[in-house]
Amino acid sequence: MTTAATGAGYDPQIDHQLMILVARGNLKAMSEIYEHRHRSLFRFFFRLTGRQGASEDLVHEVFLRMIRYRHTYEGASGFEAWMYRIARNALTDSAKRHRLESPADEGQMEQVASGRPTQLESMMKEQELALLHKAMRALPEDKRELLVLSRFQGLSYEEIGRIVGCETGTVKVRVFRAVKAMGQIFCQLRAGQLHEEKTW
Amino acid sequence: MVNCDQAKEYMAVSWRESRNDGALTEHLAGCAECFAEHSTLGVIWARLGDIPVPEPSLAMNRRFQSALTALSSEAAPAVEQHWRWADLWPRNPVWQTGIAAACLVLGLAAGANWPHQDKEIAVLRDEVASTRELVALSLLRQESATGRLQGVEYSGRMKTMEPEVVNALVQAIERDSSVNVRLAAIDALGRVSRSEGVVRALTGSLGNQESPMVQVALIDYFADAHDRAAAGAIRQLSQRADVNPAVVERSRVALRELSQ
Ligand SMILES: [Zn+2]
Repeated sequence: MTTAATGAGYDPQIDHQLMILVARGNLKAMSEIYEHRHRSLFRFFFRLTGRQGASEDLVHEVFLRMIRYRHTYEGASGFEAWMYRIARNALTDSAKRHRLESPADEGQMEQVASGRPTQLESMMKEQELALLHKAMRALPEDKRELLVLSRFQGLSYEEIGRIVGCETGTVKVRVFRAVKAMGQIFCQLRAGQLHEEKTW
Repeated sequence: MVNCDQAKEYMAVSWRESRNDGALTEHLAGCAECFAEHSTLGVIWARLGDIPVPEPSLAMNRRFQSALTALSSEAAPAVEQHWRWADLWPRNPVWQTGIAAACLVLGLAAGANWPHQDKEIAVLRDEVASTRELVALSLLRQESATGRLQGVEYSGRMKTMEPEVVNALVQAIERDSSVNVRLAAIDALGRVSRSEGVVRALTGSLGNQESPMVQVALIDYFADAHDRAAAGAIRQLSQRADVNPAVVERSRVALRELSQ
């Protein structure tokens, strides 16, 4: 199930074995883990921060921390849980330093979305996407994180429970609440937009 | 019958797995509120996938690779050092400023020299290839059979296999304690290498194999390689009194194929 996270069909067990090699001092094995994981980690951070540069810095930081803390790797709860725990800590530390909690600018989202055909239909679709993106940014941080972990990182609810430190059942309830909050914000934003269009 | 609170947990699972559990379907049939929530929020869940995400830049990869190279040399067993780089740094502040300025100019010049990037990337690619080889070899030397099995699987994914990796796989076929590792290694080699040297090495190992499954896999490998040099070893094996009838049968087919 977790293979979706890497996007390349890699067995997470391989990264576990590679990390054991790194822990024993074979740092070159980290280059392989990087190959398998850097994209999905980048997407994780981008979805949470909405910023390309900051996300790239965070990916770099996570891999450096994995090297620095390699001696602590035991792999009892799996490589993914360990990596995401490091990723969350890196994000928290970076947020403390740069006050990332404040809503990110939406310029990057528009950059990504542009370059598509500009027919009316796709324009409307883009508008909807921009609203979704806005709603995502407006979501409280803990809810956004849970949504990203469950919707995009290909992790099971059990694995997410190990990452955030709670029971699987609690994870499911919290994911439900996050989706519900997302839906409410999205509807509010859309109602606001319709109102703007009418008055215009 | 699940209640509304439990139904919410089931919903979180159903969006992920795109299918409803029987208990949830039953609840939704009798609860209009949950039914509405499940379907509207399901749409939100699905639409989330449409939010685009850019690709990370190549600069990020370069930055990490150079950090890793620096750290690797740091972590490498220290050669006896009689002097340190820091000793070269002058004590005189005028000289310190001068060197810093020179470094800045050199750095700018190197940055402007863009075509160098291609070379850099090529070197990086070579490094990654040799890293793969190193990783494959390390995995193949794991203590646990599961670890070695992953090493074999990992090696089998290589488009081209370095001779060291081929050797390690041949050795695994000859003497790994796990039948599964031997079988996987034959499979991996079959996909990449049927060179004469490999066939010869494996021909030698056929007579020493105890497992009928490994024997059959090797016979298939020889038949696919179409190397007649293996015929003698196959015939010898099939004439042994203790050999499995399935192996005898497979040998007969392979020998016929090889004689054609
Ligand atoms: Zn209900």
